[in-house]
Order: sequence, then structure tokens, then C-alpha cells
Amino acid sequence: MSRRLSIPLIALLLVVAPVFWAWPEGLPPWRSTAIVSGWVGWGMLLASLLLMIREAWLAERLGGLERMYAWHHRLGLLAYLALLVHPLALAVDAWRESPARAWAALSPAQQGWAGWLGWAALLALMAGLAAALARQLPYRRWRWLHQLLSAAVLLGLAHLLWLGLDAPALWAPLLALALIGWRLLRADRGWAARPYRVSGVVPAARGMVEVALQPLGQALALQPGQFVLAAFFDGPGFRGCGEFHPFTVSEIGPAGRFSLGIKALGDCTGHLQGVESGVAVRVQGPFGHFLARADGPQFWLAGGVGITPFMARLRAGPLNQAVRLLHLHRDAGDAAYADELPALAAQQPRLTLATVACGDGQPDLAPLLPPAEQLAGCDCYLCGPPGMVAAAVDILRARRVAPDRLHFESFEFR
Amino acid sequence: MSRRLFILATAVFWCGVLAFWLAGRLAGPLPPAAQPVAQPPAPAAERLLSLAEVAAHGVPEDCWMAIDGQVVDLGAYLPEHPSRPAVINPWCGREASQAYHTKGKGRPHSAEADQLLATFRIGRLAP
Repeated sequence: MSRRLSIPLIALLLVVAPVFWAWPEGLPPWRSTAIVSGWVGWGMLLASLLLMIREAWLAERLGGLERMYAWHHRLGLLAYLALLVHPLALAVDAWRESPARAWAALSPAQQGWAGWLGWAALLALMAGLAAALARQLPYRRWRWLHQLLSAAVLLGLAHLLWLGLDAPALWAPLLALALIGWRLLRADRGWAARPYRVSGVVPAARGMVEVALQPLGQALALQPGQFVLAAFFDGPGFRGCGEFHPFTVSEIGPAGRFSLGIKALGDCTGHLQGVESGVAVRVQGPFGHFLARADGPQFWLAGGVGITPFMARLRAGPLNQAVRLLHLHRDAGDAAYADELPALAAQQPRLTLATVACGDGQPDLAPLLPPAEQLAGCDCYLCGPPGMVAAAVDILRARRVAPDRLHFESFEFR
Repeated sequence: MSRRLFILATAVFWCGVLAFWLAGRLAGPLPPAAQPVAQPPAPAAERLLSLAEVAAHGVPEDCWMAIDGQVVDLGAYLPEHPSRPAVINPWCGREASQAYHTKGKGRPHSAEADQLLATFRIGRLAP
């Protein structure tokens, strides 16, 4: 199964199976619509739940964690749209009898437990999605409100059971419970993560530290360009926030040691600027395929902390291909690895390095990016702020870089 | 894009709910529940029906059940029943008291369901 089709096919299967089982026969059209829309929504919710499972082996098969989370959001929203149709279609069906009967089909005051649970599930889904789409919310509040979506699934499950499911359909609620439990224990409680300890911390730029980690058990097998999810706990003089956040690997050392570049982007990562040696860490991964292709010339564009995955590759040894690296930063204080980068470039005969201080605001990329003739046959790797990456993609596409030669990860995990 | 779609869909949904509420209010109180298609020839409470007679009405289109000593004709109601047909149809033509009181993993039907059921009563089960 190709990675590109894997998620749509799984989603299709999880939608078609319950719809096939519950397919209405001989019912009025709007009642049929209500039943089908309910099961379509439930199937998409199941697929969305599957895609919140955070396992490296699953991400590998489904095209990466970022792609899984994008489909998780997409299917959650589509499930919501289908589930909005469900009660309205029931009311339209009852309208045949009378408008009062139509309102009775909707009104919680005229329902039993099945109706109340259905309404509670829909309202929890509505509130949870509103919070999920509110990107300005602080991360912790956003994460707490995101739990409403799990509550919506459980309430929806109770709604289904109350209506009466016979044995063949019990797999649907059981699968939902299993997926929620899996996510809770393996990802949120960290059962799938491996234990490490901070072995060193050095400042890398203004508001950024590089943290070296030493394995306390079996180490992760990492490649340059990959990222991990790490949660920092307590040390002798440090209390970690214990939340899993994505961090890019900046160096892969011997004996399973590796380093992470950590920029202060929120409460937890800001607090991590004060992390110290000896702090306990749990690490899950690795994830991502950035820099995985090693054939042919490459163009690397790094914006600010976006230099981190390229540092991991440059530190890993001599480049096998010609690479042109353009590193953009605001000013000297913002330039991560400013001292080390020129020294590394001097040891890499196949690397051409350009470093440009752009000041505040969006840089004018057109004169900075290579012309079309230098991009022919090049794989372009972009890492930096979303606005910069989007602008660079537009320019590179206009310079005839094929979409399959443009590689970037946006780290949008909300 | 996702956010706009969410807001639009949510607004349309609540407009729909509001429209049904308004229509329900303007229409006044609920009409009596649907009556059985075929009225019994004698007053329902006095008609005595045997299990054999109930069994003669054992298909979804002509569905009688014996529940708690009463016989109900649910043929007209079955399409409205919230569960899947496979859950309720097998009880047509049978003594269904146990199923009625243990639907949905052992829970009884609601008081509203009891009231609705009474409107479909066509007689008493003969001892």
C-alpha cells in the first residue's frame, strides 16, 4: 500500500464497514440520511482516533507523524460535519408528521437517555473542535480543552450502546476505547518513550539552548534531519514541565548520545532554557524523513532555529553531494551555531555556505534564492518559520522546482 | 480554511435547530402519537388475543408483540424505532416482555417509551 493512499484507504474502510452494517432498508429517505450520517461521522472519528496514535513504526508506514496529524484534523472536522447532519435529518424526517414532532425529535426536553447522550456528545465535539481550532490559546489550556474531544467520543459511544448495538457492531466502541487508551498510556503517559538523562547544556543563540542527552537504556536509532518528542522531568535544581514536545536532533553522537536544539517558543520551552545536567528525560521517536534523500545536488534553506537539522547532517561527516546552504537570521545574537557553522563549512569541501542577517520582518527571498538554472535537478530542503517556508516554496515552484523535490516540515502539531 | 468551515457549519446547524424550535412552537402541542393502521373491531382493552394470534403477525410490515400481558401492533411504528431493524424485528409475533425490559445492555425503556407503547395497544394477552 503506497504511503500516500494509506490514510485515505484506512479512513474509507472505517467508514464503509459500519455504514455497510447499518445500511437502512425500506426507511424514509431522511431517516436513512440520519442513520448513514451518524455512522459516517462515527467511522471518521475512529479514523481520526487512529491517527492520534504516536508510534514511530506507525508514522513510518503512514507517511510521517505530521501527515498523520494533518489527516487527524481533517477527519475530525469531516466527522463533525457528518454528525451535525444526523440530528437535523431526524427532525426533517419527523416533519412529515408535524412540525411539533420535528422539534420533539431534536428537543432534549423530549428525549430519553439516548437523546441526551447524543446531544452531550455533539456539544462536547463542538466545544472541543472550537478549542482545537483556536490557535491563540496557550498550549496547556489548548491541550486541556482538547480532552473534550475524547469526552465527545466516549459520550457518542454511550449514545450508541444505549440505542442498542448487537454483537457484530461492538468492535466499533471497543476499537474507540482501545485507541483512546493506547494514546493515553503510550504517548501521554510516556510508556512508549525511552529514558535519557541530560548530560550537558550549551547556549546556541538568544533564547535557544542545545541539550545533550545520554541514554539510560536502549538508545533510539537516529538519522540527521529527524525529530523526537521529549519530556523533561526533574533534576537536582530543576523542575521540568513533563510535557512531550517535538525537538529536532542537532547532533548524533556515539553510544546513543544525541543533542536537541531547544528554542524558547512557549511556557515549557522557555522554562527549558534553564535545564541542567542530570535532569531526567523521556524520549519518543524518531520521526520524520527530512534530509533522507542523499543522491544529487541539494539546496538547503534555514531560517533561524531552522538550521538545527542541517547542523546534525554537517556534524555527521562529509557530505556525499554538492550542497548550497542559505542560513537566514535576524541578527548576530539570533544566529544559532554562528561560531561553529563557518568552521564546519570549512571542513566540508562540497558545501557552499551563505549567511544573511535579515533583521526583523519577512526577508525578501527572491534575490537570495538560487536562480532557476542552479536549481535544476536539485532537491530543496526548507526549514524555518512557516511564513518564510511558504514564500520560499512559491518562489522555488516558479523557478521550476518539481513538487517532489521540495521538502519541508512545518512542525504544526496542534 | 478549517476554522471558517467549522464556524459556517456550526452557524448553519444552530440556525436549523432554531428554525425547528420556532416551527414547533408555532405548531402548538404535539399531536397524539400515530395510531395503529388497523383498528381492532372491539375496544382494545377488552380484546383477548392468544400467542398463536400474535405469532400470525410476525413480519415487520405486520408486527404484533406481547409485552407485559398486553398485545401491541407495532407495524406502523417500526420504521420510527431508533435502533437498527435487526434489533427489534426478530421480536415481531412473539412474547417480547424480556426484550422490552432489557434493551440496550439490560436497561429498560424510558417512561416516554412506555407511554408511546400504550398508544399501540390492541388487546390483552389471553392467559
